[in-house]
Amino acid sequence: MPEDLNWAIGGEAGDGIDSTGKIFAQALSRAGRHVFTSKDFASRIRGGYTAYKIRTSVDRVESVVDSLDVLIALTERTIHENTDELHEGSVIIYDGERTTMQDVEIPEGMVGLDVPLKSLAEDAGGAIMRNVVALGAACEVAEFPIENLDESLEKRFSDKGQAIVENNKKAARLGQEYVAEEFADTDFDYSLETTDNDYVLLNGDEAIGMGAIAAGCRFYAGYPITPATDVMEYLTGRLESFGGKVVQAEDELAAINLALGAARAGARSMTATSGPGIDLMTETFGLVATSETPMVICDVMRSGPSTGMPTKQEQGDLNQMLYGGHGEIPRFVVAPTTVAECFWKTVEAFNYAEKYQTPVFLVADLALAVTEQTFPPETFDMDEVEIDRGKVVDEDHIDGWQNEQGQFQPHFPAADGVSPRAFPGVEGGAHMTTGLEHDALGRRTEDTEVRVEQVDKRQRKVETAREEEEWDYREFGDPDSDNLVLSWGSNEGAMREALEFLDESGTDVRFISVPYLFPRPDLSEEIEAADEVIVVECNATGQFADVVEHDALTRVKRVNKYDGVRFKADELAEAIEEKLAAPAEAHT
Amino acid sequence: MSSDVRFTDFKSDKQPTWCPGCGDFGTMNGMMKALATTGNDPDNTFVVAGIGCSGKIGTYMHSYALHGVHGRALPVGMGVKLANPNLEVMVAGGDGDGYSIGAGHFIHAVRRNVDMSYIVMDNRIYGLTKGQASPTSREDFETSTSPEGPKQPPVNPLALALAAGGTFIAQSFSSDSQRHTEIVKKAIEHDGFGFVNVYSPCVTFNDVDTYDYFRDTIVDLSETDHDPTDYDDAKSAILDADKEYQGVIYQDEGSVPWDEREGLTDSMADIPDGAPEGAMDLVREFY
Ligand SMILES: Cc1ncc(C[n+]2csc(CCOP(=O)(O)OP(=O)(O)O)c2C)c(N)n1
Ligand code: SF4
Repeated sequence: MPEDLNWAIGGEAGDGIDSTGKIFAQALSRAGRHVFTSKDFASRIRGGYTAYKIRTSVDRVESVVDSLDVLIALTERTIHENTDELHEGSVIIYDGERTTMQDVEIPEGMVGLDVPLKSLAEDAGGAIMRNVVALGAACEVAEFPIENLDESLEKRFSDKGQAIVENNKKAARLGQEYVAEEFADTDFDYSLETTDNDYVLLNGDEAIGMGAIAAGCRFYAGYPITPATDVMEYLTGRLESFGGKVVQAEDELAAINLALGAARAGARSMTATSGPGIDLMTETFGLVATSETPMVICDVMRSGPSTGMPTKQEQGDLNQMLYGGHGEIPRFVVAPTTVAECFWKTVEAFNYAEKYQTPVFLVADLALAVTEQTFPPETFDMDEVEIDRGKVVDEDHIDGWQNEQGQFQPHFPAADGVSPRAFPGVEGGAHMTTGLEHDALGRRTEDTEVRVEQVDKRQRKVETAREEEEWDYREFGDPDSDNLVLSWGSNEGAMREALEFLDESGTDVRFISVPYLFPRPDLSEEIEAADEVIVVECNATGQFADVVEHDALTRVKRVNKYDGVRFKADELAEAIEEKLAAPAEAHT
Repeated sequence: MSSDVRFTDFKSDKQPTWCPGCGDFGTMNGMMKALATTGNDPDNTFVVAGIGCSGKIGTYMHSYALHGVHGRALPVGMGVKLANPNLEVMVAGGDGDGYSIGAGHFIHAVRRNVDMSYIVMDNRIYGLTKGQASPTSREDFETSTSPEGPKQPPVNPLALALAAGGTFIAQSFSSDSQRHTEIVKKAIEHDGFGFVNVYSPCVTFNDVDTYDYFRDTIVDLSETDHDPTDYDDAKSAILDADKEYQGVIYQDEGSVPWDEREGLTDSMADIPDGAPEGAMDLVREFY
C-alpha cells in the first residue's frame, strides 16, 4: 500500500485554500509524517485559481513531483488545472450539489467522490466549514486517523472559542462518515501511517524570521511585498517580545534607512524585501557599505523584471545581488538552499555583517520562502546559535583607537580591513560616518591617497573573510561521478530527488549545492575533475552559470527554468539527462 | 551628561566650506547652543544630516553622526532613536532634501511623532547643485532650470506638518541668533517630533529671499497674542501666505512620543552571547 501521498486542495482565491491546506499539513506533521508543501497562487485576493499542495511521506520529502493522488476540488477549474498530474486511481473530492459543479466530468480512470460538502457543513453548524468536511473526507480516503486533524483544528480555531472548534471537529467527522458509508465499496489504496516522530512545520520566510530573533536581531523595518511579507508578519509581535521593534515603513527607501539608523545605534538590524524593493534600496545599500554599517538585507526573489510575476518563482536577482549599486561595494551574498538553512544562514548573515561591518544580502527565492517543510525541532537547536559582534569598543578601550588628538577613528585602516565600532553613548567615541569618501575619522575627503587607502581597506574585508571563514557547500550523489551538477537556492530539494530518478535510470551524478554566492567556494578543482558540468537555476540567462564559468575559466551547460514554476524532481532529472546527452553548447 | 558642556564641544575641527555669509552658519551655531543648554553632550547626541550645503552640517559638528543619502535623513534618525531612546537625536537638512526628494518621509516622520528634532535650513533654493528652484521657491523665481520661475506655488512645509498631525511646529530665522536658539531648544525639549523650519539665506544663489527681506518682513509671534497651544491660532498663522513668522507656531502639550507609546526605553545594542532566553519556544510554535 502506498505510504506516500500527494494531496492538494484547489479553488478560487478567497476560498480559504491556504488555511485549509495548512490545517491538513499540520495534522500530518503532528502525526509524525514528513510534509513538503507548495503553493500555486495568482496575484489576486479573490477569484483566480489557487492551490495548496502537500507531499507527505514517512521518509523526508524534499520537493514537488508531477503527481496527485487526492485532490479536493472546490471548483471545476481545479480539476482542469491539475489534469496532467492526476493518474489512474487518483481521487477527486468535489461537491456535486454546487450549481457550478453539477456537470463535472471526472477524467477516465479516476475516482470521483461527490460529497455534499456544503450541506454537511451546514449540518455541523455553518456552510463556511465545507473545506473541513472535505478534510474529513480526505482522512477517510487516505486512512489517516482523524484525531490528528482535531489537534490542528484546535490550534487554528481555539481563539474563536470552543464551540467553533467543536463544530469544526464535527464537520470533519461528517465528511469522514459520508465517505465511509457512501463509498464503502471503493478501495482507495492509501494508508497513511502515523509515527512517534516529533516534527515542526515551517516555511523559509518563517525560518528567516526565527533565525533573526535567534541571532539577536532587535530592529526590523520593511514595506510589504510578496513574497517577503511573511518575514515581517512573523517578526511582528514576536520581535517586540524579545525587546525589539518592527516598523512598517512608508516605502523601501525608508525601510532600509530606518534599519541603517538602528544599526548605527548598535542594534542588530534587518530589512527584507523582493526585487522591486531591492531596486529602491540600492542607493542606500552603497551608503551602508561605505559607512561600514552591519546590516542584513534579505531579498526574497520573485519573477521580474519590474513587477513581473509577483507570486511566481524565479532566481533572477543574482546579478543585482553581486553587482547592484553604483561604484564598487564590498558585500556578502548568502543564499540558503533549504528551509532549515534559511534559519542558520540568517544567523550567519548577522555574524558576517557585524564581524566585517558590511551589508549582507540574504537571498531566498519564492519557492523556498513559501514552502513549508517538516523538521525535527532539534534542527533549530538554539543552544547552537553563536553570536559574534566583531570589534566593538567600550569606554575602557576606546583610547586604543583614538588618534593623537584623542579622536576616535571609526574607519581606521586596520590590516584586516575591519575597524572598531563604538556605539553611540560610548564616551570618547563620538564620530562622523558618511556616504562621502572619508578619512579614518569619518570626515569627508577627496585626498587621493586617503581615497585609495579607504577603498583598499573596505575591499580587504572580503579577503579577510575569504581566509577566515569556511565557504563550504553541500554535496550529494556520487562524489566520483564525472557528471557534476551545480545549483543554488531552492533547487537543492528538487535536485536531491532528481538524483533518485537519475539513479534509477543508471545515470550517476555528483551534485553540489552552493549556499555562498559571495564570497563563494572555489569549485575549480571539482569542475576540472568533471567531464560534464551542468548549472541548474530558475532564470533565463544563467546568472550563476556565468559566475561559475568566470571562476573556473570554462564553459558549462545550463538548465534554466523561467516559466514562474519551481523545478520538479522528475522534470529536472529528465532535463539533466538531455543535457548530458547533448553536445557542448555554444555560448549564448 | 555633564553639566559643563559648552556649545563649542559640539564643534568639529573642520572649517565649514559654506560661502561667507551663508545662513547655515547661524543655524548651526544655534543648534549647537541649544544642544549644549539642554544638557546634552556629543557622546549622547546623534546628528543625522541630509545632502545639500545644509547637509554638510554633520561634518562641522562633533557628535555621533551620519551623513546619509539625499532626502533620507529622517528615517535614519528614527531608526537611531527607536533603537536607543536614550540618545538625543537631531536631523538636519535643506528644503530640497526635506520637502522634495524626502517629502514622503517628512509627512510620515511628523505623524509618527518620534521624540527627536528636525531642523530644515530653508533657503528656498538648491544651493549645492548651484541654484535650481526648490519646492519652497517662489512661483516667479527665476533660476537656471526655471527661467521664468517654477510657475508652481511653493509648498508650505508648516501646513504639511500641521496636516500630518504635527505636535511641534516652529519657524526661526538663522540670523536672529537668540530667538533661533530658543526655538530649537524648545524643539529639543518637546516630547515628540520637534520640527523647525529655519530661514537660512543663501547669499550666492538667492537674491530674493535675503537677510534684508526676512529682517524686514518677519513677525515674531511672541510679540503678538498668538497662542501656540491653540490649534486655530496655529492654523491661521500657517495659512497666512502673506507673512513670514518666527516662533513656536503650534505645540500640542499633550503629545506623547511614539517611542514612549511603544514602551521603548532601552538601548537595543546589548544582546546575549547566544540565542535569547526562551528562543526554543519559537520553534515549538511550529508544532
Ligand atoms: C539621489 C540624488 N539626486 C540628486 C542629488 C543631487 N543633489 C545634491 S543636493 C541637492 C539639492 C539640495 O538642495 P537643498 O536640500 O535645498 O539644500 P541646500 O544645498 O540648498 O542647502 C541635489 C538635487 C543627490 N545627491 N542625490
Ligand atoms: S551656495 Fe548658498 S546655501 Fe550653499 S553655502 Fe553658499 S550660501 Fe550657503
